Amino acid sequence: MSNFFSLLYNELFKIYIRKSTWVMYIILGLIAVGGAIIISSFDDVQPTEYTDNWKEELQEENEALHKDNEEFGYSFNDDRIMKNEYLLENDIRPLNYGAWQYTLENVGLVAIVSLLTIIIGSSIISNEYKWGTIKLLLIRPISRNIILLSKFIAIFVFGLFTMIYLFLVSMLGGAVFFGFEGFNPSTVIMTANGIEYVPIVGEVMSEYGYRIVNLIMMTTLAFMISTIFKNSSIAIGVGIFLLMGGNIITGIFSQYEWSKYLLFANLDLKMYETGNILIEGMTLGFSITMLIVYFVVFVALAWLFFNKRDIVNQ
Amino acid sequence: MSNVALELTNVRKKIKNKEIIKDVNLTIRQGEVYGFIGPNGAGKTTTIRMIVGLMDLTDGEIKVLGKSIEKEYKDAARNLGAIVENPEMYPFMTGRQNLSHFARMYDDVPKGRVEEVITLVGLDQAIDEKVSKYSLGMRQRLGIAQAILHKPAVLILDEPTNGLDPAGIREIRDYIRRLAVEDNVAVMISSHLLSEIELMCDRIGIIKHGELITEQSVKEDSEEADQSEIKVVLDVKETEEAIKVLASLELKAEKEGSQLVSLMTRETIPQVVNKLVESGVTIYGVTGVKPSLEDQFLELTGGNIIE
Ligand SMILES: Nc1ncnc2c1ncn2[C@@H]1O[C@H](COP(=O)(O)OP(=O)(O)OP(=O)(O)O)[C@@H](O)[C@H]1O
Ligand SMILES: [Mg+2]
Repeated sequence: MSNFFSLLYNELFKIYIRKSTWVMYIILGLIAVGGAIIISSFDDVQPTEYTDNWKEELQEENEALHKDNEEFGYSFNDDRIMKNEYLLENDIRPLNYGAWQYTLENVGLVAIVSLLTIIIGSSIISNEYKWGTIKLLLIRPISRNIILLSKFIAIFVFGLFTMIYLFLVSMLGGAVFFGFEGFNPSTVIMTANGIEYVPIVGEVMSEYGYRIVNLIMMTTLAFMISTIFKNSSIAIGVGIFLLMGGNIITGIFSQYEWSKYLLFANLDLKMYETGNILIEGMTLGFSITMLIVYFVVFVALAWLFFNKRDIVNQ
Repeated sequence: MSNVALELTNVRKKIKNKEIIKDVNLTIRQGEVYGFIGPNGAGKTTTIRMIVGLMDLTDGEIKVLGKSIEKEYKDAARNLGAIVENPEMYPFMTGRQNLSHFARMYDDVPKGRVEEVITLVGLDQAIDEKVSKYSLGMRQRLGIAQAILHKPAVLILDEPTNGLDPAGIREIRDYIRRLAVEDNVAVMISSHLLSEIELMCDRIGIIKHGELITEQSVKEDSEEADQSEIKVVLDVKETEEAIKVLASLELKAEKEGSQLVSLMTRETIPQVVNKLVESGVTIYGVTGVKPSLEDQFLELTGGNIIE
């Protein structure tokens, strides 16, 4: 099995030795820090700094928020107001905005991590065809299954590294521009059961974690497509389209009962926590089963095509 | 007789109902260098792809040191090293990184081996440059280096002389002979240019339209060579007189310009020269022309025509 780690090392080496990978990391890094730079350079979007007088400050804030609501005739500040009231009722000093909260808000950037992972997943096999190195790879005393597996795992190791990178850059950017709230701060959040006071670390983990489901499924789909067609452009295209458009597709079909069997209907497991279940009758168990079924089908198809194929020029 | 290293039995390959390889039987022994010659599109690369496990066989069997490439893939592949068609490497990696990459795919390639093969193929100077900057000849050398990393018992080289200059070809030739003689490696080299590999082969097989049409040994200075007739060109002043002398030795001669051409065995050449001198014929030169394999090859394949 020591050999398997050599294969994994080889695959990661080929990913990280290329300049294009580092360009992707630089861009992701800039976007992750960019938000902090923008927020901190405009005065009117600066987060409030609470002092020892925080109770008064919270009350003032709520009054201002109520006023806003009335002015716009729409209660878009209700969450904020309820959270503030909860803090006042329970005598909890609010947390000043800092690295953790910034990182939590950056969770949307997981979509970019997904995008990069899809790109890597779409090209890890097809590049070997493009470079002509597939021949040299497949004449070694290693079965094709193992080669395929090493590549598949390398994709997700890349995804994991990139995720950690996003987290670290966000924390660092947040800490530099807003300060650090400490190692294990808590905050108030909205859940299906109302407002709760929880450690922010757990919240970050769960928010990022839920989005990994989408990352894994779309990457596996793109990996399968590129393995079958030996072409990364189709796979990247389909992967990105579905990554971005999955919700729209689900929206279109959600009136039909059968749409719960669609992959996209099952990607957002957070709905079972918040209670906004897409189609009645869906359960967490159902969604996990559907995800596993799709995953197995994608992997099996990739495996079938990779294993059976005669290796010829394009 | 040494052991069989590579054996192809009734190998056939059909792609989309087209028979590309038709019943090829072929055996290469340890320490033997086998030239696999054929015009473009004859099926050399297809045969090689099947030997190294890149393609399935439609029918037949291929064994490497007695292990079937289809049924015992890992055991067979462990003893194989190959270049298939162009020696493509990862262009964004250096030569050394490429070699280390492939070395990691074996359990038993020791650390120093990479350095060893770099020196063997003469790439010390350029090994830390990116492969994208390599010339075709340098890539060809790197291709050979990756093929011998794990000291395979059978080495398959698809057109390894492609892109090499004459000095490069000579180097590869010496190196391949050494591998065969010193390490007992069985080598299969394909080419469509017989002249380039003739000198390094013990035996050649000619493939055309997917069929192995002939196999023959390449003999040098063997006893047999003394017995077989070769073409001899005599450059003499008195051609008529010389024809009579040859006739007295029961040799036919034809006049080609100012020269005479005759067929005789190597052994009889000194005798002929003596007789001519005794008869007072002025000799400017005697040249033995071996019937070149190239001529035979062209005759057999009908030239390098892609059909
Ligand atoms: N994937 C394929 N599909 C259909 N026909 C193929 C395929 N691969 C090869 N062929 C055909 O098989 C024949 C043999 O091709 P091959 O590449 O083995 O020839 P070759 O002897 O290596 O030629 P060259 O000297 O040009 O390298 C050719 O006629 C080619 O058209
Ligand atoms: Mg060829």
